Amino acid sequence: MENNTESASVYELIQLMSSLNDTRRSILNALAHIYPRSVSGVQLSRLIGYSGKSRSLYRGVIAHLTELEMIQIDQLTPKLYAIRINNEHPLLSVLVSLCRIHGEQSRNLYLKALEEE
Amino acid sequence: MNMEDDLLKQARALYKDRLRIALSAMLIVFTTTCYVFYNLALRGTDVPDGSVGGSTQGFQAAVSFNTIGFTISILLMALVFRFWSWAFLPGPAAIFTLGVLEGILGPKVTIEQVIGKRFNVTLENGMQFEVSCRTRNRGTDEWFSYRLVTSPLEGNGLREVALRHGFALKNDRFVATVSSDELHQRTFLLTKAMMVASSTI
Repeated sequence: MENNTESASVYELIQLMSSLNDTRRSILNALAHIYPRSVSGVQLSRLIGYSGKSRSLYRGVIAHLTELEMIQIDQLTPKLYAIRINNEHPLLSVLVSLCRIHGEQSRNLYLKALEEE
Repeated sequence: MNMEDDLLKQARALYKDRLRIALSAMLIVFTTTCYVFYNLALRGTDVPDGSVGGSTQGFQAAVSFNTIGFTISILLMALVFRFWSWAFLPGPAAIFTLGVLEGILGPKVTIEQVIGKRFNVTLENGMQFEVSCRTRNRGTDEWFSYRLVTSPLEGNGLREVALRHGFALKNDRFVATVSSDELHQRTFLLTKAMMVASSTI
């Protein structure tokens, strides 16, 4: 039974992730791996290979994801934001724990990418 | 998918053309009217010789009744254009939207296209949601994003249901802003979420 509800969540998670477009999917993917770390907007746009301006990332995608309670934004200074995934979200918490268990290597890659500035 | 993207590309080009045409038309109308009107007005003012200077004549023309009418008509043109771009989607984008919605929801749903770039969708079981299209999202490079809003729902744990399907809950409605390439999948999840919500009553 326990196993069943778990796989139901995983099923829903797959459905949810596949309904999102490339940008949103890669944001959640990256943030889930590095959780509980948070990143700035510039770091995030680099991490997901976003070619546009990070300002337009803020006003579009990030604003939408915040509305859906998928990510959380803390404003550190007027210009600096800390973005992280919302681990309280019923499905993204599943994603975060999956990444914790199976995503060691990927996390290292992401963290290395963050270090190099 | 490819064809749909082409439709949106067409729609975008059309929208830009439309904007350009409207602007240049207004510019032409404005300059010709300005020229004709003020030229005639200045020449046509019957002023006793020597009593007033040229600047006063000009001033008289500028505050005349016609000028007010002229300004109002220009404003009206701008207003009409504003309304037009608020109310109507470029044709290909409407085809795209209808195509996607009908494709995923099946032939039995009724989709009503409403003025203001909106589509009212009624599912077979009577549940409704609204899809409104934004041609361009200010400050971003997104073209043709959609706002999905359901009619008010009742049931237990609506918020949980909403979040699990990628929606937010606002005033008992599921809402989300989705991009054009997400429209298909997220409409699908929206209808599923509505079914789930109605089964929890």
